[in-house]
Amino acid sequence: MTSHDEQAPDSAMLDAALAKLDEAVEILANARDFAKPGKLRRVFDGARKVMLQPGGCAAIEARAQAIEAAGIFDGSDWAQPQILIPSLTVHSLKSPESDTVVLEALSELRLLAVAQGRYEHALISTEQAHHYLTQVLALNLELLFSAPSEAERETQGRLAQLTRGLFAHLAETIGYEHVIDQMIDEIWRILQQRPIQVDAIKRMITQIAICQANPDIDLGTSGQGADRLVSSLFGATQASREDPGVEIYLERLQAMDSGALQYEATGFARAMHDTGLVSAYHAVLLRYLLDQGDHLLAEALGLSATGRDCLLCYRQLVQALIEESIFPETPQAVYGLALMLERGILYQPPVAPALWRQIGLPVSAWSQERIRMAYGDAVAPRARLLEGVLCMLGLPLGVGQGNNPTCQSARALSMWAYNDPDYLLQMVTWAARDDEIIMHFEGMPLSSMASLSGVATALPLDLDPVSLIVVPHLDRIYAEMGRRCVGREGDPHRWVNPEFHGWWAGRGFRINVDVKTGQLQDLDAFLRHFYASYHPYYNGNQPLIHPQPAGIAVTDSAARFIGWHAITLLRVNLDPQDVMRAYFFNPNNDSGQDWGGGVKVSTAGCGERFGEASLPFEQFASRLYIFHYDPLEHGELAQISQAELDRVTDHIYRSWGADRVPATKLQALSSPH
Amino acid sequence: MEKSPDKGHIALLGWSLNAIEAAENFDRRYVVVAPDWAEEYCKEHAIPYVLWNFERLNDRSMEIAETLQEMGVDVAIPLYEETVEWAGAINSVLLDNPRLYGQALLLRDKALMKRRAQLGGIRVGIFEEAHDKEDVIRFLKRVNQTLLKLDGDPNDPIHLKAFDKAGCLGHRVIRTPDEVDTIPEEEFPVLMESHLDGWEFAVEAWIHNGKIRFLNISEYVTLGYSVFVPATPELERYRESITRQIEKLIKTFDIDFGFVHPEYFVTSDGEMYFGEVAYRPPGFKVFELLERAYGFNAYQGLILSFDPKTTEQEITDFFPREVVDAKGVAGCFGVYPRRRVVSRLEMPEETEDHPYFESHELTAPLEETVTKRTAFGTHWGLLYFFGDDPHTMRDLLKHQEELDFYV
Repeated sequence: MTSHDEQAPDSAMLDAALAKLDEAVEILANARDFAKPGKLRRVFDGARKVMLQPGGCAAIEARAQAIEAAGIFDGSDWAQPQILIPSLTVHSLKSPESDTVVLEALSELRLLAVAQGRYEHALISTEQAHHYLTQVLALNLELLFSAPSEAERETQGRLAQLTRGLFAHLAETIGYEHVIDQMIDEIWRILQQRPIQVDAIKRMITQIAICQANPDIDLGTSGQGADRLVSSLFGATQASREDPGVEIYLERLQAMDSGALQYEATGFARAMHDTGLVSAYHAVLLRYLLDQGDHLLAEALGLSATGRDCLLCYRQLVQALIEESIFPETPQAVYGLALMLERGILYQPPVAPALWRQIGLPVSAWSQERIRMAYGDAVAPRARLLEGVLCMLGLPLGVGQGNNPTCQSARALSMWAYNDPDYLLQMVTWAARDDEIIMHFEGMPLSSMASLSGVATALPLDLDPVSLIVVPHLDRIYAEMGRRCVGREGDPHRWVNPEFHGWWAGRGFRINVDVKTGQLQDLDAFLRHFYASYHPYYNGNQPLIHPQPAGIAVTDSAARFIGWHAITLLRVNLDPQDVMRAYFFNPNNDSGQDWGGGVKVSTAGCGERFGEASLPFEQFASRLYIFHYDPLEHGELAQISQAELDRVTDHIYRSWGADRVPATKLQALSSPH
Repeated sequence: MEKSPDKGHIALLGWSLNAIEAAENFDRRYVVVAPDWAEEYCKEHAIPYVLWNFERLNDRSMEIAETLQEMGVDVAIPLYEETVEWAGAINSVLLDNPRLYGQALLLRDKALMKRRAQLGGIRVGIFEEAHDKEDVIRFLKRVNQTLLKLDGDPNDPIHLKAFDKAGCLGHRVIRTPDEVDTIPEEEFPVLMESHLDGWEFAVEAWIHNGKIRFLNISEYVTLGYSVFVPATPELERYRESITRQIEKLIKTFDIDFGFVHPEYFVTSDGEMYFGEVAYRPPGFKVFELLERAYGFNAYQGLILSFDPKTTEQEITDFFPREVVDAKGVAGCFGVYPRRRVVSRLEMPEETEDHPYFESHELTAPLEETVTKRTAFGTHWGLLYFFGDDPHTMRDLLKHQEELDFYV
């Protein structure tokens, strides 16, 4: 936004840089296909230089068509703008690799030209381009409104300036009002999944609030939907309305009678259950209410009869949990506590004593250090960990794997929090106190200390406190279990999944991919068996009892195979529209994904509970490649209709199974019907 | 481009995308002779290709010559030092001229080459072959004795070069007997040369029918770091005498066609000393710099100068006039990390912001610890510059030596 002031003196530099870029683009355009890679360097470096100048982005936008026609995107995903996924720009724009950032920026500017109607693109329409860009802006709003963080400066250097220049130009052209509304929708969509980690969302909401307060930014009529979000953080109640600061707020509380306190309690509880976000004032209120009677406490937690009952039964434990974990710096613990009470898991005999152990748990120096690195010093690492424990027990489906390849470990944590909470607490204790977890694999103890390496090559930091401490251990053990299966015929998950997750994971195992060749095998029997095991119409109307690990072939929005992914199958039910749906947990941070070919994972509106993802049963089956079952439940292959089976297999052949069809099958397919 | 049947059919020995691109866009038929790993790529892009693994010359060597002959190839062009003797052997068959093979061997051995130059009356420094470390120490002492140095005076350095490697590869500078220990045994035998205090530069000359068709002088700012074309007027004022030196070289080595890339020193009194000569395109992307500066494709010039069917008119029309026809000055700089421990690539702002800066080929560091440099020629990537003024270019390239690109 300051860029205008400096424009005049630098225009000579911009012109010189543009002259070089134009020449480089022309050389690229004239080069033969095989020689193009050798001509890219000058275009990349030239474009980077241009975009670093004030006015550079606009100049690139004007040349976007020529740059694309020269072949800069050839052979990459960017060549097909219609399949680009906005959320990926979060990573590409923060990449330390200059070329990645430049390529992404060029693509955005090209789409801007398309969105403005200046460039008619064969593959993407004006509306699509506009929609894509608003999403990109919303997802990267910090690039628009905040200076580079120290981390960005460290990894990106000047590139951080480049992306900011790019975003200023995008927002000025597209209009801020589009950005804000899009972002608000996006925040609500994510919040409906009730993730444990909400720091990034809180940052975005803060930015909206700043944006609204800035008289230089004309939001027009947009941004109305943000009020609930902003107020839930900065002023949900009468006494906190103008964001007075926690000290003043506490003073106000001290001057209130019980009627006023009740008003505050209800206001915060409603905001919290509305959004899943907790204000720092709420934490202050809750600590204050500890001395004001159980009724107000239950009110401030927004508890139902079940939760209130649980609170009253375990009054002392709850008091200790609040005192030890709920601070203005750890407000989400309030939500975790409330939902944990609602789940009634304290009534399972081992859980309450295990939580007492957690409250007094000595945390090892290494674990403390990890927590400090990820969350800073504002509260003691022990309190931070306790907040994490409450959140995980309250929101078992809010666990996310961060930007790490550790979906197995995240799934296990979620499954334990959901199904076996005292086991989870045991794991946390071992990891946080002893820096070691021992699990058994086919009778042999496996120590996380002795195992060499996990799936993740670096220790992850972008996780909730429990995952932060436990995942490195689980990941190593999981990898070690895999190593123990080397040389066995077939897929190692057959043995690893039940041993890793728990006794309830079925020992029966089916896979529809031949591990050696990668080709599909026994597809019909696989599907019939899956229907017979899980589909209520074919399994005697038996609801799913325990969460079951399952393997998914994840595809992108163009239905191309991306990779194998671990999920938990939670339940199979008719949805409100009477469609049979599979509800599952996806350890990815955002489960709302487009898997292509019409398969769009839903996270709300189809009967999902918080954190669940869902698909119609057929579509789910079309992405499934591994499931477990109880071998003693003598399953008869389900008599599903050929038409239904064909629909599922067709989905498979048109997506991840496209190049996995065995040769014999192909002939059958190509024969006339 | 449409290929003309009246013009030559050439074979490119070795893999160079830039050379292939130049041939593809030229009116001669061509074929690439390269190892098996290139096969798939050539198929995919419909590049004419003959598989050949260039190892030592052996009794199968006739095979490739005959293959090319059957295909109707007229001449083979070496693209790398390692394919120079192959080109000599193949061309002696294709052009029915056995002398070409001997000539290639001469051009491949730095010691033989120096003796031949000496016989032809070309000035060279003191040189000798070394077979072990003892030889090096003796040579170092004798050179410094000759220079009338007393014990305790700092020695003049000597240079060690592999006999048969391109350019700076394996080039070491030795000042004290202690440093001799750092030479690995497997590098012997080597060529030793006295150090010449002077201005080192390189020449690229395209030759056809025994005549120089284009002569470029490449100015080194610092050997092994940077080069630019065309040179400053200070170096260009030697063009006349340099041309005479090249003519002498052509005569001495009996070169009738093709391309030479010699290196010289000019001392303060204007005397030219011959360093070495290569019969292939230079390293350090000088061909690319020439294209940037003049606009002609140096590889196509190479094809013209080798092709026996090239006409006098054609080659005269192809090349521009030296220096005056240049659109500007093109230079490049080879980056070496200056710190012992580096974590990432960071372009200095002043470099990127300089109006001459064009692009770079630096990649992120793979290892954090930088191997100590013992020999020349292992830079981490090149920076490219282009601008109007040779002096600005020279100072700019020199200044890059003081900057950190890896921190």
